[in-house]
Parts: sequence; C-alpha cells; structure tokens
Amino acid sequence: MSNITKFLALDKVATFFNIIKQNGGIRGSLYKLYRQDELKDGTLVGEDKFGNKYFENPRFFYGRNRWVEYSDKYNMNYDGSQVPAEWFGWLHYKTDLPPHLDPSRPKYKWMLDGNENLSGTTGQYTPYSTTRPTVEPWQPKPRSS
Amino acid sequence: MAEYAVARLDDLLNWGRKGSIWPMTFGLACCAVEMMHIAAPRYDMDRYGVVFRASPRQSDVMIVAGTLTNKMAPALRKVYDQMPDPRWVISMGSCANGGGYYHYSYSVVRGCDRIVPVDIYVPGCPPTAEALLYGVLQLQKKVKRMKTVQIWYRK
Repeated sequence: MSNITKFLALDKVATFFNIIKQNGGIRGSLYKLYRQDELKDGTLVGEDKFGNKYFENPRFFYGRNRWVEYSDKYNMNYDGSQVPAEWFGWLHYKTDLPPHLDPSRPKYKWMLDGNENLSGTTGQYTPYSTTRPTVEPWQPKPRSS
Repeated sequence: MAEYAVARLDDLLNWGRKGSIWPMTFGLACCAVEMMHIAAPRYDMDRYGVVFRASPRQSDVMIVAGTLTNKMAPALRKVYDQMPDPRWVISMGSCANGGGYYHYSYSVVRGCDRIVPVDIYVPGCPPTAEALLYGVLQLQKKVKRMKTVQIWYRK
C-alpha cells in the first residue's frame, strides 16, 4: 500500500496539505509566503524571550533544516540580529542542544542582554574622537565668478 | 492625501530598487574570494535579486572588496563615476574600511571612503560571506528608507 502511494507520489501531496495545515490554512500560508518567501513544515523546538520561534525538520538539507520564524510584532522589519545569543549556537549548528535543554551554559549576573542592530535608527552607534585631528583636510575655495 | 500617495509611490520605487541590487564585479584582493562565496550556491545572493554585472553602467552598487592601493584609486573612482544614479558603495573588509593591516603602508589608501562615499561598512579580515550578505541586507534596509519622490514633491 505504502509502495503504491510512494509510486504515485501521493505522499508528496500529503506533505503539501500538511504544510498548508501547519501554517494556518490558506490565509495563514499566504501571509507566511508574503513575509518569509517560504513555506516549511517542522517541529517547534522552542521560543525565545522576544517571541521568535525556532523550528527543525531533518527532511530538509543540512543548513536549511533549522530555521527561525521571527515574532509577528517585527512584521517585515525582521533582522538576523534579533536572534538572541543563547539561540545563535543552535541555529548555526554550533550545538545540538537548545538553551532550555542545555545544563552546561554559563549564567553570570554581569551578562548583558543582546540588543538588535540599531544602524539607521536614532539609537545607532556614532563614533567620535576626543583627540586633535592630525591631518588638516583640504577645503576647496568657493569659486568666485 | 497627496503626501500619502507620494509616500506609497516611494514604497513602490524602493521595493523595485531593493529587490534588484546589482553589484559591480570588482574584486581588489582576498576579500573578493568571500565575495565569490556569496554568489555560490551555499549563500546564493541570487535569491535577494543580487546579480553581478560586469559593466559599471548597468550596476547599482559597488562592493569594494579588498585593499585599495594608491595605484588603483583613480581607476576605482573612474568606475564609480561611470555608475548611474542611484548608486551605493559597500566597503568590505578592514582594508577597505580604514586601511586595516596596511594602514601605515606607503602605497595604500587609508580607507576607500577617502575616494568614494560609502554606505555600508562590513568589518572583518576578511569578512565571512555571511557578514557580507548581512551587509547587503542592511543596504536593502537603507534603500527601503529612501524618499526620492517625497523630496521631489516637497520641492
């Protein structure tokens, strides 16, 4: 029986409907396609403190079998730096243990929370110098005519 | 009302621009190897609409990948001047950012921002292909914020 379904590729059809079902029906699937250009099925591994969800499905090729779905509050402005440090290692195959299952992670009170990349916003880092400049910039004379 | 329409026109323009950022094929040093990596299947810049163009007249962004020497500087500026507006520059690696290892060399420009205006600085020596791809995504964010039509309307 399963041989016949495999031969007729009906298991692929079943996977397709399963993916649509898991992503919240047709409307939900269209929203996900619009937002992340991809529809995948997977098991939910965990969720971080910002509401980003982490998924895994070994059916996909290595490198694409772990992924993050950013929290809905970010809308289209999601960014790689919104993944907190404790999930980075799992997402990048440094470790197979997600943070809530790993007992050996150091936890000190001086450890700071990571923050996202603020470039281009008002909170961006602006470098400045407190020493006198060593070069005199050339200032072209305004043309007088 | 007109302001709103103009802002949506801007959104449309920016969507088109950020979805087809074509970089100039211009590798100066070892960073160019990492630049090749983002074109290869593993990082695959094609999925963001980023395609290398061999001509400066058809490209939007120049990735300065590597050490910019004094000898190369006029050529770099010439290539930049040949690119049509709007154009952007990604400075890739510490040599292009500020001279890096060759900062005190007699023959190296101390940062390509002395030659061309730079939009995105990608740190690293060399930066990983992931870092450069993140720089491209940051550039897309920057393009998304452009207000070309709104500025024209307010004038």
